[in-house]
Amino acid sequence: MAQDSVDLSCDYQFWMQKLSVWDQASTLETQQDTCLHLTQFQEFLRKMYETLKDMNSNTIFERFPTIDQLLAKACWNPFILAYDESQKILIWCLCCLINKEPQNSRQSKLNSWIQGILSHILSALRFDKEVALFTQGLGYAPVDYYPGLLKNMVLSLASELRENHLHGFNTQRRMTPERLASLSRVCVPLITLPDVDPLVEALLVCHGHEPQEILQPEFFEAVNEAILLKKISLPMSAVVCLWLRHLPSLEKAMLHLFEKLISSERNCLRRIECFIKDSSLPQAACHPAIFRVVDEMFRCALLESDGAPEIIATIQVFTQCFVEALGKENKQLRFALKTYFPYTSPSLAVVLLQDPQDVPREHWLQTLKHISELLREAVEDQTHGSRGDPLESWFLFVHFGGWAEMVAEQLLRSAAEPPAALLWLLAFYYSPHDGRQQRAQTMVQVKAVLGHLLAMSGSSSLSARDLQTAAGQGTETDPRAPAQQLVRRLLLHFVLWAPGGHTIAHDAIALMAHTAEITYEIIGFLDQTLYRWDRLGIESPRSGKLARELLKELRTQV
Amino acid sequence: MESLLQYLDRFSELLVVSRTTHVRTWDPLTVRRALQWARYLRHIYRRFGRHGPIRTTLERRLHSQWRQEGGFGRGPVPGLANFQALGHGDVLLSLRLLENQALGDAARHYLVQQLFPGPGVPDADETLQESLARLARCGSAVHMLRFNGCRKNLNLQEDSLMKTQAELLLERLQEVGKAEAEGPARFLSSLWERLPQNNFLKVIAVALLQPPLSPRPQEESEPSIHKTPGEGSQALVHWLLGNSEVFAAFCRALPAGILTLVTSRHPALSPVYLGLLTDWGQRLHYDLQKGIWVETESQDVPWEELHNRFQSLCQAPPPLKDKVLTALETCKAQDGDFEVPGLSIWTDLLLALRSGAFRKRQVLGLSPGLSSV
Repeated sequence: MAQDSVDLSCDYQFWMQKLSVWDQASTLETQQDTCLHLTQFQEFLRKMYETLKDMNSNTIFERFPTIDQLLAKACWNPFILAYDESQKILIWCLCCLINKEPQNSRQSKLNSWIQGILSHILSALRFDKEVALFTQGLGYAPVDYYPGLLKNMVLSLASELRENHLHGFNTQRRMTPERLASLSRVCVPLITLPDVDPLVEALLVCHGHEPQEILQPEFFEAVNEAILLKKISLPMSAVVCLWLRHLPSLEKAMLHLFEKLISSERNCLRRIECFIKDSSLPQAACHPAIFRVVDEMFRCALLESDGAPEIIATIQVFTQCFVEALGKENKQLRFALKTYFPYTSPSLAVVLLQDPQDVPREHWLQTLKHISELLREAVEDQTHGSRGDPLESWFLFVHFGGWAEMVAEQLLRSAAEPPAALLWLLAFYYSPHDGRQQRAQTMVQVKAVLGHLLAMSGSSSLSARDLQTAAGQGTETDPRAPAQQLVRRLLLHFVLWAPGGHTIAHDAIALMAHTAEITYEIIGFLDQTLYRWDRLGIESPRSGKLARELLKELRTQV
Repeated sequence: MESLLQYLDRFSELLVVSRTTHVRTWDPLTVRRALQWARYLRHIYRRFGRHGPIRTTLERRLHSQWRQEGGFGRGPVPGLANFQALGHGDVLLSLRLLENQALGDAARHYLVQQLFPGPGVPDADETLQESLARLARCGSAVHMLRFNGCRKNLNLQEDSLMKTQAELLLERLQEVGKAEAEGPARFLSSLWERLPQNNFLKVIAVALLQPPLSPRPQEESEPSIHKTPGEGSQALVHWLLGNSEVFAAFCRALPAGILTLVTSRHPALSPVYLGLLTDWGQRLHYDLQKGIWVETESQDVPWEELHNRFQSLCQAPPPLKDKVLTALETCKAQDGDFEVPGLSIWTDLLLALRSGAFRKRQVLGLSPGLSSV
């Protein structure tokens, strides 16, 4: 408590000084400084109000002798009055100063003075005497026409900006950079006032003809903040312009999304999809420059987390939303694929971007083989000078969960000899870093497991132990080794699809999930599989039911 | 219904009193009652104010109040001045009381508590506190945009402040017209006598140039300024035609371009305008020594001014342009149909206009061809 009051006194001195310097915020420097401090000053006002509201007028003046000056100075700064709720909190603080029962004339005068200041704040700062006389003469009070006046001013400025954007070469009608900068500064406190939306939109969309950015960064930051907190609603074109013109805003939007994803429930792709769509980033990413930045941030996140499955899942959902958004774009305005994936061969990009939903089921195997061939070419081919780093190709492939997650399933569900191309693709997906020999070894291992599983799929009486033996588990030491992950994946698919699988499902999983991490992995797999089946419509009632049951059970265990 | 009308009357009285020193006698109970009535009327307005018999009854009552206070010949109505004001009567009342320093301590304290109860107010719809905060925010916005962003040298009809005043004028005229058939004319005359005339003339011009919005925009809950099409402008035109010295002042004060636009939009004004221009022309005489047309008296309109007006009119679209040229030709004929300069001002004007047009066509790279002048 005591510490709080010391803090408040320090803050008080700080703000008193600031307000004195800012005065009426009529110069560029005072305006910029005020804009930078608007949020903190409002917080300070809130803290003051919390302190003042329990005190009576005399006590307040004993504690803060200059409080009337502080509040009066704040009232003269139009930026403060215009910002968010500052004017309201300021008024509350002033009300605290009123003496309920004035004992002497000084206190009465104080009351009168406060009444005057309140009236001043609300009197909607007047200007031309002629105009005031006219409106009064007609019988109107400012409250009658101020909203209309603001609307007219906003529309007039917005249309001027548009004209400047379209015809700016005519130097007579050009808006000077100083005026544009000033306008953007002035909008900073006003961003959450709905009447000003058309002006904000025009400032974002109409970028005139100067080679460098004129609008103040505080403006972009304030708009971005309002968009992320849903305090303003702007059309998509304006949001895209914002993110193109001010990179920090785009980065902040991504970070905001990451924070939301981290703090929400783990392993629920449906929720992830909601958050992603809500952020407007997929639609914005239809612009290649934005897509590149977003993709880069995903890549960093993936690298820093050592390929965490949750990040991979997020990338996959994002890409799916992005492809959907791309499909809705006007065909004539579409950018070439190369601009989104500059380091990929066009044929590979085209194949990967196909939605499995749009490809007939019979062709899925063929498509996967084709993808495998193209990827293998990109990874193993050193001579063509393309970016032969396997990680690049892997990162590309990882985007497209629709295909990537389908490989294991396809391998298990075909009774025929597993195609080498698919084996390769599976091995590559789970360990991109392997050398040729290592990968060949993995492929052999997988083929063996598949063989066993195929043999077991016909039998009606299975046991979980049998499964473990078939998988050759217990021989590897590191359960996290990619080969182990791969094998687990195959087993899980088997358990969900094979006729006898559901009887041993619970036991098999119990055997597999001996650490919390593996349990999370399995939960993630089940959630993703259900999500995928739902989208593609390939669920069989029995498998779906089983998967849901298992998921529910496992979720209660962690 | 009768009790509703009584509320209306009482509230209107309250508004009048709220500006006087009589509030000294008000105690918290009075303030409370006043705010309650205001809130009640606001509620009525929002629910029933759009259409129907309730609106008509309320309006009629207001109109009869205004007529009792001397109609529109006198100054502004001291009480409830327009119908839309019922939608924010509580704000109006609160502001008037806050401005009134005669308010007693107890009443003031109560008022402030009511207006600004603090955070966590549970009301569902927009409370008085929110309305007032929004007004303060709006006011700052207007102030900042005006002094930091708005262009100074706009065309008159594009200036937001002018536009807003024009909208208010039109709205008021429409309302006054509903109250009394001859209302608008008397009202405008009283405004002419009371208000700064220069500003008033400009506002009239802008009002006459407002675009007609034919379908009424959907009614919002915000008591916005309704843009009504013809009625207000018709009243203005009618009044201008009936008051020749106002119209003369109008034509002198406003720039040529604006007047051309106005007369194009409102053809009824063009014969009078042309008549005025003709009168002005006839007051000039030719100074042989200087070789130019000069004013007879100092307040006469000079040649350049006259020429400007006619030039602007000749650039207007067809019906007006042709009328103007016909008028000039007629005047020229009446004067003796001279072709030589220095004898008839009409000849000289036509010559100047023709050469001006010719030069313009040259500059634009158009063929000399058949000039329509």
